[in-house]
Amino acid sequence: MSAALLLPLVHLLDLQLPEHAPSFGGEAGYRAAIGIIMSTHILISGLVSGATQLGPFIEWLGYMRQRPRYDRLAHGLARFAVYYFGIGTATAILFMVVLVVGLWGHFFTTLVRITWWPFVIEAWSFVLMVVLTYIWYYTWERLRPFKVLHMALGGMLVVASVIQVAMIDIVASYMLTPGAPSDPIRIAINPTVYPLDVHRLIANLAYIGFAIGGFSAILFWRSREPEDRAFYDWAGSFGLLWGMSLTALQPVVGYSYAKEIQLHSYAAWFKMMRGDLSTVFVWQILLLGMMFTVGVWYFFRRLRTAGARGTSLLKTATIGLLILAIFAALPYHLAFNQDQVIKAGLNRPFWEGGLIDPLGAMIPNKVLALMGLDLLAMLGVVWYLRGLRDVAWGAPARGEQRLLIASGVMVMMMIVTMGFIRENSRVPYLISGEITVSGQQDVSPPQTSPAPLPPP
Amino acid sequence: MRRMAGATLEWLDERAAIRYLLRKGLYEAVPVRGAWFYTLGSATLVLITVQLITGIFLTMLFVPSVKEAWESLDYIRQHDAFASVVRGIHLWDAYLLLLVLGLHMVRTFSSGSYKRPRELNWLSGVGLFLLVLAMAITGAMLPWDQAAYWTAVVTTNIPSYLPLVGSFLRDLWRGGTFVGPITLVRTFGIHVWLIPALLFTLIGAHLALLRKHGEFGSYVNYRGAYRSYEGREVPPAPAERPIEPPYPSTPSEEEWSAPLQTEDFYPFQTFKDGVVSLVCLLIVLALALGIGAPLEDPANPAAISYTPTPEWFYLPLDQLLVLVPKELISLVLFIPLGGVLLLVALPFIDRGPERNPFERPAVIVPGAIVVLFIVILTLLGSGRLFNL
Repeated sequence: MSAALLLPLVHLLDLQLPEHAPSFGGEAGYRAAIGIIMSTHILISGLVSGATQLGPFIEWLGYMRQRPRYDRLAHGLARFAVYYFGIGTATAILFMVVLVVGLWGHFFTTLVRITWWPFVIEAWSFVLMVVLTYIWYYTWERLRPFKVLHMALGGMLVVASVIQVAMIDIVASYMLTPGAPSDPIRIAINPTVYPLDVHRLIANLAYIGFAIGGFSAILFWRSREPEDRAFYDWAGSFGLLWGMSLTALQPVVGYSYAKEIQLHSYAAWFKMMRGDLSTVFVWQILLLGMMFTVGVWYFFRRLRTAGARGTSLLKTATIGLLILAIFAALPYHLAFNQDQVIKAGLNRPFWEGGLIDPLGAMIPNKVLALMGLDLLAMLGVVWYLRGLRDVAWGAPARGEQRLLIASGVMVMMMIVTMGFIRENSRVPYLISGEITVSGQQDVSPPQTSPAPLPPP
Repeated sequence: MRRMAGATLEWLDERAAIRYLLRKGLYEAVPVRGAWFYTLGSATLVLITVQLITGIFLTMLFVPSVKEAWESLDYIRQHDAFASVVRGIHLWDAYLLLLVLGLHMVRTFSSGSYKRPRELNWLSGVGLFLLVLAMAITGAMLPWDQAAYWTAVVTTNIPSYLPLVGSFLRDLWRGGTFVGPITLVRTFGIHVWLIPALLFTLIGAHLALLRKHGEFGSYVNYRGAYRSYEGREVPPAPAERPIEPPYPSTPSEEEWSAPLQTEDFYPFQTFKDGVVSLVCLLIVLALALGIGAPLEDPANPAAISYTPTPEWFYLPLDQLLVLVPKELISLVLFIPLGGVLLLVALPFIDRGPERNPFERPAVIVPGAIVVLFIVILTLLGSGRLFNL
């Protein structure tokens, strides 16, 4: 009976499904498909990694300070990690198994052969991370009388999460600055592995901070109970503070990363800083400046609403950050790549009277601007912390919540932009200088028997 | 025999008040909770003492001249196993000293132990930290192998980026425009005479101040800590044991002037101090025996194939110098200078009574970021140790 019902359906599917896998419109289509899935994966998985690393820390902080709201926030992060683990994993599987293996099969097979052990360790640390996340979340109430034990579980989760990210960083950094494929040590400690690892670790932690800020702002609007409103008001402020403090470290780490790329993969560096991607880099610098500006603007407004001290300096810092953000993103010359600059006869440093590199030239004006942005952002953080004692949570103005959401959105844009720049700097290579994009879809069977001899 | 020893002790006690000094030294009150964290100071002192002893030993073998410095160390390496171990102890002890001293500073910072009346303890501690750093960097320049030579080139060039007096200071240290024989002799003099003289003077002052105001310890020992716990009342002043000298430390606020619970320095704290110091010494000995002190090829300014790698404690500054464009190096050198000024100014900036680190985020958060920044720069720079 059931076979009689199912058989026509199977035939129907047979008619509906195309004979071959989709072509995505060629190479550009493959890249777009992989880029979209990868960006989605990074946006979700970055949050999950951040939640599993920051959550246990917040739980410990709450224990040390004896403040229940920290525990509530940490519990919320644990719940988030449990709910969104599946989506992050699904996008990763779709990305790896279907798209990368299906579209760039030769490359991926080679990559897995070279970075075999990092992949194996990553997989097992991932298993450990999943197990610990679930235990950490579901034992929250049961282990409340044994809080230290529960925090120890959280500590183990942090370790598993950090190892998991570090292993995948080895693979990602190897693709940009590969070494001898036969030397496992050189593969593991390739030139960009440290900066990428530190950059991502801080980025994930900062990202979840900004996300807490934005999400808390939305939940604040939806909540009606004064206790909930006070909690979401505080959580938004806490998240943004966390995000801003850690992001202040990123320019230095990011600059170190760029420096190592310059030394070990010059073509990619040139493309990012002086080539086609330099324009995107300017956009990224502008985003960073705006993130700092909006963050300090929130600090100013939140203290002003609460009638706390320190607002005038924060107002000045906001204006200073805005000016510096514009200065950092200011194009020297409206050229979109180095060729156009050379054509204009401007390929000299500005201190030699020339103007200069294309839009994305980083040195030295942008370095100065970055230093200024960093210092003012730090000043904003310190001044806000100083004024926080006078803040009563639960009654922010609407504009402050908007700023929190804006910060969260900008951070997401930043993450996608950075991923875009890094992955596209290698083009046309998938492994820098080793394997190209073209020819990856060739699935014709290899010649197994010698060709017949021509007739005499 | 026992009678004679007893009589000698009596004779000494009448003249030098030995019993009083011992009693004062050993039976002073220290806070009870968190006492393992307070062991870092005494571990630092033990490690500095080991530096002194092994350093004196090495000066009897080391020849501070560009021709014989490397040869004297090479002789030790090849023909004198005991001196090789002593040199290894000197090196690894210095490395561990920097680490322990750094941790001691972080502990003091986080517990707010620099607040009144202990501002001078903090200032003398900052001075000690800088002197130990100076000791380490000048020591790294002495072996006159390739690593030492290039360390000397880079380090003695740093003052030249200072405006106005920069070139003068560089030439004064180098004894000319280039690194040479006078540089080595001057660095040796600074390493074995100038810095130790200042170092031991400051150690004396630091210990005297510690004795005067007592160990602050951690906020958990004080009544003031209970203010920040929601739903818990501030306990009354200590009743179990009367407040003993050096407590209450004045002019501290009442809630932070005397620990809730104290114990005698001997045997309680001395036991913990002894354990941590012994562990430190065992680590040093293991590293000295297992790895020893390296000695590269003799200094050769003409070598072009050599890739200099900085000492690990120099990596944060080195990484900054590598990162920034040439035009901004002078500016970057003001970052560590600003850091030192901030350390000096800290007790005068953060003057509030609160000691609990969780209630002082405006100080702890930037402090944590600075520490994180230093760790990150070290990590980023460490790639060069592997010649990546």
